[in-house]
Amino acid sequence: MIEKKTEPIIETKDLTIRFGGHVAVDRVNLRIEPFLLKSIIGPNGAGKTTLFNLMTGQYKPSEGKVFLKGKDITHLSAVERTRLGMGRSFQLTNIFPLLSVLENVRVAIQSRKGFGLNFWRNYLHFSGVEDEAYSILENVLLDQKWAAPASALTHGEQRKLEIAILLALEPEILFLDEPTAGMSQEEVPAILEIIQRLKEIRDRTILLVEHKMDMIMTLSDTIAVLQEGRLIADGNPDEIHKSEVVQEAYLGGGLKRE
Amino acid sequence: MAEPTPVQIFRIEEKRKQYRSGSFFLKIGILALFVLVPFVFPSYKTVDLAMQIIMFATLVASFDILLGYTGILSFGHGMFFGIGAYCVAFLIGKYGMPSYLNLALGFVTAALTASALALLISFLSLRVKAIFFAMITLAIAELAIVLATGLSHFTGGEDGISLSMPGIFAVSFSIGDFMGLEITGSVLTYYFIFLSCLGLFLLMLRFTHSPLGRVLQAIRDNVQRAEALGYKTFIFQIISITFGCVVAAIIGGLYAMWVGYVNPASSLEVMAIMLNVLLMVIIGGMGTLYGGIVGAAFLLITQTFLPDLQNLAKDFFPQATLLHNVLERWLLLFGILFILVVIFFPKGVIGSVQDYISRRKTILLGKE
Repeated sequence: MIEKKTEPIIETKDLTIRFGGHVAVDRVNLRIEPFLLKSIIGPNGAGKTTLFNLMTGQYKPSEGKVFLKGKDITHLSAVERTRLGMGRSFQLTNIFPLLSVLENVRVAIQSRKGFGLNFWRNYLHFSGVEDEAYSILENVLLDQKWAAPASALTHGEQRKLEIAILLALEPEILFLDEPTAGMSQEEVPAILEIIQRLKEIRDRTILLVEHKMDMIMTLSDTIAVLQEGRLIADGNPDEIHKSEVVQEAYLGGGLKRE
Repeated sequence: MAEPTPVQIFRIEEKRKQYRSGSFFLKIGILALFVLVPFVFPSYKTVDLAMQIIMFATLVASFDILLGYTGILSFGHGMFFGIGAYCVAFLIGKYGMPSYLNLALGFVTAALTASALALLISFLSLRVKAIFFAMITLAIAELAIVLATGLSHFTGGEDGISLSMPGIFAVSFSIGDFMGLEITGSVLTYYFIFLSCLGLFLLMLRFTHSPLGRVLQAIRDNVQRAEALGYKTFIFQIISITFGCVVAAIIGGLYAMWVGYVNPASSLEVMAIMLNVLLMVIIGGMGTLYGGIVGAAFLLITQTFLPDLQNLAKDFFPQATLLHNVLERWLLLFGILFILVVIFFPKGVIGSVQDYISRRKTILLGKE
């Protein structure tokens, strides 16, 4: 088990991206162990989402490499990386608004199972697919709303649905980009509960970008701290909490912990 | 055994009600109506009207596959219809004898030409953007009219091509009376076209209810999301476009069989056919397939009978000149009717009714 942990599922080597003269991500070396929940935190503009985009393939790095299970995937597109088991959520909600909640998830399962090009059989005759979609909806606490069109959901519910769509693809690594962004205070605990649940199943790696410090301290197994594109600390919550570098850069830098 | 989920309960309920619901009986009723038309109203005008409704309903449904199910606007649908009509006309009218083989070959040529052209246009335009498809189809459709008119030695030009039907479809063919109706070639043609359109319609229903059809709706909703799920949206769009265009071409061929005459004005006129199809899909409702039947029936019935109103008015109210003047401009009345439909059925007749039913269902589910 210990040996397994030392073998990272994702590794970045000197990952760098420049936008014009601005270095958004600066020589980041990150190791992500399988089956753990790792958070990436840092003040606004620290390059968290950019680092995410580099790992999932939305951006191509100026320098450096990304490895998935030891294999160099730097040249692969986002879609190809999705097929390799990297599922990513976006800060902006990304669902199918006119389809029903259940259908949103079902279409994703259909993609994973690879029968999307079948044009002859009735889509309901593929047994178990709808049941699977429903059980995923139960996991994200959306089962009550299965019949509603996705556009009728509240913002928080739509984020849940997005996570459900991601889960339907059964990614080995789940990338969650600020899952509570733009959410009302009442909606946040439900999302945290969902992430907590997913974490406890321990069948996949979860990567979380967040800048709400209090939220990730209890949730994360390990935390990486970014500042101005550089990785300044990486460790378990306790270490991060005690780290002076982090105190200075993050907590002292105007953002107070509550 | 595990407790059935609400989804399972819903599906079981749906299946149980499948052959008892109002919509099922409505469909049977409409089918029966079209079967009985030649017996009940044997006049050419009504049979022709019924035939036009059947063909246009199917044509609108094939257009709906593109617009309502895939989110792609095509101005070339009338052209594909015309291509089908010309292919059949070439093989049994201008370049071949009327025989069953040539008729079948005509339809095969129609399908092949339409799919080749649809693939070509898709490859040219879709890589860039879906809106490009609308523009390119508009341009190519205009070009097709120019070609059909200009290449007169090949296409018959403005005079068009007259065609006669083989065997049992020939006008002179008759097998005698059945229940008071003489079963002529045109009656048999009516039923042949009716069954073909029914087959095409069922095929399209199959298509939209397949996993592929569901992906198309997802693509229409959110292309990027569908792409991110791992679907190659381009391939799905191409399949959908090609399918819709081939169906349009086959209906074009059937149309040529029914009218017995093909010329650029009647079969390729982009504005006339496209405008009608667009109006029909708006009236019936996008993304419903069945909307085509309502749209085609509404449009064709009003266009056929509104002009008759002025004669009625002249017979019954010979003094009311104002009424005569209004009814003479029956298109004005049609416009008013159209506006009313759009106001009261913003998603088209079928779309709005479906919306109402599903909203009521959600309320009922919420109460449980």
